[in-house]
Amino acid sequence: MKVLVLGTSSGAGKTTFTAMMCRYLSTHGHDPAPFKGSNLSLNSYATADGGEIGMGQAFQAWACGSEPVTDMNPVLLKPSGNGRIQLVLNGRPHSDISRESPMDKALVLRTVHEAFDRLSAEHDIVVCEGSGSPVELNLMERDVANTGLMRELSVPAVIVGDIERGGVFAAIYGTWRLMPEELRPLLKGFVINRFRGDASILGPGIERIEELTGMRCLGVLGYEFLRFPEEDSLSVSDGRFEGDDPLQAYLDNLDEMVSHAEGSGFDFEGFLEIARG
Amino acid sequence: MDCIKKKVNEELERGWIGCNRDCEYNPCHFKGQDCTFCYCPFYPCGDTDLGNNITGRRGNDIWSCTDCLFIHRTDVCRHICSEVERLGITEAGDPRFKDIFRDVKERFWRRGRALMVVGATSDAGKSLMVTALCRILLRRGYLVAPFKSQNMSLNSRVTMYGCEIAMIQELQARAAGLTNPDAHMNPILLKPKGDTVSQVMVLGQPYGDYDVEHYYSDFVPGPGREIVAENIDFLKKRYDFVVMEGAGSPAEINIYDVDIANMRAAEIADADVVLVVNVEWGGSFAYALGTVELMPECDRKRVKGIILNNLRGNPANIMPGVREIEERLGIPVLGIVPHTRLDLPGEDSQSLRGLRTKGDGRAVVGVIRYPRIANFTDLDPLLLEDVTLRFVQTPEELEGVDAVVLPGTKNTVVDYLWMRETGLADAVAALRGRVPVMGICGGYQMMGRVLDDSLGIEGGEPRVLDGIGLFDNRTVFGEYSKRITQDSGHMAIGDGGEVTGYELHMGVTETSEKPLFRIDGFVAREAWDEGSVREDEMLFGTYLHGVFDRPSFRRHFLSLVRCEGGSAVREEPRDYVQSIEENLDKLADAVEQSLDMDALMGILGVGQ
Ligand code: SF4
Ligand code: SF4
Repeated sequence: MKVLVLGTSSGAGKTTFTAMMCRYLSTHGHDPAPFKGSNLSLNSYATADGGEIGMGQAFQAWACGSEPVTDMNPVLLKPSGNGRIQLVLNGRPHSDISRESPMDKALVLRTVHEAFDRLSAEHDIVVCEGSGSPVELNLMERDVANTGLMRELSVPAVIVGDIERGGVFAAIYGTWRLMPEELRPLLKGFVINRFRGDASILGPGIERIEELTGMRCLGVLGYEFLRFPEEDSLSVSDGRFEGDDPLQAYLDNLDEMVSHAEGSGFDFEGFLEIARG
Repeated sequence: MDCIKKKVNEELERGWIGCNRDCEYNPCHFKGQDCTFCYCPFYPCGDTDLGNNITGRRGNDIWSCTDCLFIHRTDVCRHICSEVERLGITEAGDPRFKDIFRDVKERFWRRGRALMVVGATSDAGKSLMVTALCRILLRRGYLVAPFKSQNMSLNSRVTMYGCEIAMIQELQARAAGLTNPDAHMNPILLKPKGDTVSQVMVLGQPYGDYDVEHYYSDFVPGPGREIVAENIDFLKKRYDFVVMEGAGSPAEINIYDVDIANMRAAEIADADVVLVVNVEWGGSFAYALGTVELMPECDRKRVKGIILNNLRGNPANIMPGVREIEERLGIPVLGIVPHTRLDLPGEDSQSLRGLRTKGDGRAVVGVIRYPRIANFTDLDPLLLEDVTLRFVQTPEELEGVDAVVLPGTKNTVVDYLWMRETGLADAVAALRGRVPVMGICGGYQMMGRVLDDSLGIEGGEPRVLDGIGLFDNRTVFGEYSKRITQDSGHMAIGDGGEVTGYELHMGVTETSEKPLFRIDGFVAREAWDEGSVREDEMLFGTYLHGVFDRPSFRRHFLSLVRCEGGSAVREEPRDYVQSIEENLDKLADAVEQSLDMDALMGILGVGQ
């Protein structure tokens, strides 16, 4: 099984949602693994075998109850100043990319594909996380983590939209509309994130989006403060945590989110159905 | 009346004078106004497109010209003068003024046009875009009014007539060069009362309490629509342009037909619409396309342009996307506005979210960040001095501050209970005499000895609380009523410098402390003492919002701050009002340089 979590913008809540789904699946009889095709980040984690991956995937791995491995984030792009970016493949520095020497997309996609295959051979479901918005018109050609992955692996996708900033229906609909036509059938569902108040007021809007796009709404998630340990709130040295067990606090926090989502009637079964393809 | 006649006669003899910058009230209406007819030769014209009837103290009708901008337009004044000269009129009350009035109105009076700025998200930058457009149009010689039909704002101001409007509309009016922003610009104000019910204020006066459901089912389709229509019409009659601001996203399809803050308001005003999209978070093309395409055809046709806002980086990088979106929607992108750093008051609590400090001066002023903090823009002028604001939520964060401010709150009693729970009430008390402490409005009430809410008006349940006890004051929350006034006066201490501000509160404070300010009386109001001060203990308290705007008191307060390396007062006194003016121009410049202004003026119906 495989599924891709897309966001309507960066900060829509993809990373947290992916972590929550990983947590849910691992505590409900599945053996999930997180995956992010490509990550643009300075904030990386050193895996046990000495590779480098994005911090988000490391935490998602712990949410699954497993150890982070480089296959969970086979491509890492680390800005190194002066418009240069270091390309890390399978956890190891590969080359520098810049305007003059652009990324070899075929190589990158091959790396992504192989890592994904290894991961899905060992786990029953791979929960992939997209990057930014999948329909950044000027970036789509170079995209790896969103449309790149959809094309390469035909992975079905759900869109997470952030309602806190307003315009969530427009954002979800616009994302669907701008998706290249041949990929649109892979868009199966959407999630409305960070809602405060009485969700029944959203009903007519949700129905309309379902009608217009054929995607199904998996649920409306409440506003959560995930104590998601980012670089400044938690120090990780040599792969070990410091402080009074922040990892446990993080996992407790995810469990709380899962139970809130269950309480609000979130369609976990629908999510699995989408992942089954 | 004879006296007025005499004045008019003098004006007729003197002829056209343009803007009288020597007058101490200038501008009494708007920047650059024509003062030739400070006293109007048409009085009373009886034309409600310009002035209106008000009821006098004895119940009699009085013709009021307060809202008339027409008589201060240069082209109007020049034309009247040339007619007066041509016809050889020398006396006020000449019957031929009736003809001149008809003629001049016919020639120069037009209903203004409305333009609406909507945002794809709540943080799209609508407010500042409206602000920028107001300033740009002012600089091009137009009379402009800002408008937002419905607002739920934490930062309010008080108009000349004692009505409450949102801080941001006041800022926009200031950008438009208007001296007296009024409640027509912000006719419906929602004040949350508890979780689901809001008090609805209309033209600054309480109208009724509604929960979400009834607000949309009863208020909006009934009085709501009417109120919006009337006030837009009022403004259109007086201004060349009404620049309207939407609220949130205009494509909230779950409440689309009752969303009176966006496309319904545009329809009522017959306004063209521009859509602002914040590109900072990405997904902006999806937001733009989705917003427009979710609108029904009739509304979609109103959208005449898109503005991409807040870009960090090179616009050339997103051009391919821009072209594609223009093509798909058939709507031009009017420009890409770069991220611009400005020192303008922030809109709402959003601007405080996650904010720990503001500014980078030497003196650290601890600001108590209550859960229901309100009117926190009161503090912005402190940043003109050598100050860093630190937003404090725990006693630990109060350590090492050089001064403390307890700002306003939406609910004194509930936030005071929070102060006690967190230990901040004790921590502030312990600073007595060690650093200067200032309370504003709700914060001032907390500084007293007693908060008497025995009727449960403020906190919901009857309670009498011991305050922090820095002043021997007793605040009683009597009936459910609010004091809303604009004040100006002088410090009763120090150099007696000027202060201005406004009061906006529930509760009345009895005090035996030395007063901090002496507020000037006007018309039917005596001068009175305001606030409390204990200079030896460096304790200050006032109901005046905006107390730091003027340099005198701000500098007096900060002169008591002893921080590393001396005083927190900057050498060159800077005026807050001046600093806002500069920033408004900076904002207008940034927007003007990034937009296709010909296209925008075209949308406004002005040929280049
Ligand atoms: S019109 Fe206003 S600003 Fe002009 S002279 Fe008269 S009072 Fe002064
Ligand atoms: S409303 Fe205007 S035109 Fe009419 S009398 Fe008053 S100032 Fe003159």
